[in-house]
Amino acid sequence: MSSNSESLLKSPIRIIIGLVILGILFCLPFVLPNQFYVRLVNEMLIYGLLAMSLDVLLGYTGLLSFMHTSYLGLAAYATGLFLKHMAPNSLWLAILVGIVVVAIIAIPVGWVQVRTGGLAFALLTLAFGMMYFTVVWKWYDLTGGDDGLMGVPHPDITIGGWILGNSGNPIVIYLFSLVIVIICFAVTWRIIHSPFGAVLQAIRENEERASFVGINVHRYKLLGWMLACILAAVAGSLFILYRGYIGPTTMDAFAGAAVLMMVLLGGMGTLWGPLLGAALFIYIQDYISTLTEHWELFVGLIVMLLVIFLPKGVAGVSSLFKK
Amino acid sequence: MHTAISSGVDIVLNSLVLGGVFLIIAIGLNIIYGLSRVMNMAHGSLYALGAYLGYTLVHSGVNFFLTLFIAPIIVAAAGLILERIIIAPIRGRPIVYTLILTYGLMFFLDGIIKYLWGTETRFIKLPEFLNQTVTLTTGVNYPLFRLAALLVIVAVMIGLMLFIGKTKFGITMRAASNIPEMVSALGINMKFVQIAAFVLGCILAGIAGVVAGPLFTVYPVMGHEMLISSFVVIVVGGLGSLRGAAVAAFLIGTVQTLAEFFITDFAMVIVYMLMAVILAFMPRGILGEGKFE
Repeated sequence: MSSNSESLLKSPIRIIIGLVILGILFCLPFVLPNQFYVRLVNEMLIYGLLAMSLDVLLGYTGLLSFMHTSYLGLAAYATGLFLKHMAPNSLWLAILVGIVVVAIIAIPVGWVQVRTGGLAFALLTLAFGMMYFTVVWKWYDLTGGDDGLMGVPHPDITIGGWILGNSGNPIVIYLFSLVIVIICFAVTWRIIHSPFGAVLQAIRENEERASFVGINVHRYKLLGWMLACILAAVAGSLFILYRGYIGPTTMDAFAGAAVLMMVLLGGMGTLWGPLLGAALFIYIQDYISTLTEHWELFVGLIVMLLVIFLPKGVAGVSSLFKK
Repeated sequence: MHTAISSGVDIVLNSLVLGGVFLIIAIGLNIIYGLSRVMNMAHGSLYALGAYLGYTLVHSGVNFFLTLFIAPIIVAAAGLILERIIIAPIRGRPIVYTLILTYGLMFFLDGIIKYLWGTETRFIKLPEFLNQTVTLTTGVNYPLFRLAALLVIVAVMIGLMLFIGKTKFGITMRAASNIPEMVSALGINMKFVQIAAFVLGCILAGIAGVVAGPLFTVYPVMGHEMLISSFVVIVVGGLGSLRGAAVAAFLIGTVQTLAEFFITDFAMVIVYMLMAVILAFMPRGILGEGKFE
């Protein structure tokens, strides 16, 4: 088990590996021959952030959300609608709107879910997820229904009045996403390896004992849920900025299962594993979905195989070699 | 005036039929969960499998009533194989793993159903005499098949109640869902009880599928929709509580029927909202006897 005060920059080897990966990621758009690949890596980053947010819930708090993409979708719609109808050029405000909307929805929903217990929590995420999906799908006037939300403007990316570039440019939005994902990863790592994270893990290991030592289990579960939802909301804002479009299928049950698979593939309870899992998943999806129309069948099969044979994912494989 | 009465009768009977289908699925899920602590996410797909088998059997000339027996048996056989190969190895692992595993199984089964039957909506052809309406009172007509479906649901419920309440095996099952260690200590093979419970759940899902096929048509996502509705039913009824599930099934069935009658598009939103409100005040279900796990 990793100790809770673990620092991200513990050993020199880790720092070097981290710097190499970051260097590669930052150079990638200038090296890749085709902008298609820049977009693909951008998508990996965004879904990586989403998978990481689900890992906070699944790997650290022991709670399962079947439809975590719902919160990515809700934030994407909120950000997109704000950009389209209210302020087409205020990037930060739009991201904030996405986060606030998700928080307003997620607090009461999380409160209800947490009080019903761990298993019912999981079942309810599915029910609420389908509710969001139905609303987005049927509320044609607001969301564009089946057609999706189209024509979202691309705001300029500014910091303190400095215009760094336009988010419509694939390279600019890629670099922007990369920076945001790195910040989110570092912040989440810090939170998870703080006493707060230790409490979440205590709840995961044994809820009853945690409550006996005086931990308010419901409150901490709700806080874990909120952290996961807000990270998903950040991913959602990045999603709409990069795509300029979102449709209801982004929020359907299959999309939810895909994120679950990313976490499983990478290894839950590691934070970095799901980022890797997302990259792998999107690469495989891009490859297989061109080969077969029965993509769903393969996802189901791979999920089952992962749970039975490789419950700790790729991260679990790497820890096998350590010993 | 007649139309008002007629739609009133329609709503009441439709609610009963819908609630009945929910109940059969939800009880199957609750029995499986109670005995093996596995929440079977693939249960809806087994229900869809029942409906598709019903479609194939009826359209290859098998009598509808015979189909009502054959299709559930095939579903049960499929369930038995799945239980042995996929679910048994991970029994005893944390609940999160069984949930994810059976969720994967759900997509796998849905994929197979789409592969075998395609994605278009199918209609199960009813025998002539069932395919007519009956006059309940003057001016109030109702499709005969819906009444027949209600009859089947009631028969299944009575059969199940007798089985669980009166037979030795039913009593063993109830005991095993409360204190498995004790039942095991009495020399009863728990593994067999768990398998039997799973197969029973599959039979129920299969019957529900064949009954629901002609009512709601047969389409690929029917299993997923039913899965979510039955989750709403078992959580609102209280996890593991059969009585709670019965109350919740008819409550949700009625609300959904009413909502679909008055506001077609957002009907399900009303159902989920109701669920959220009930759970906000009664987190252990409407009878307060749900397990907290």
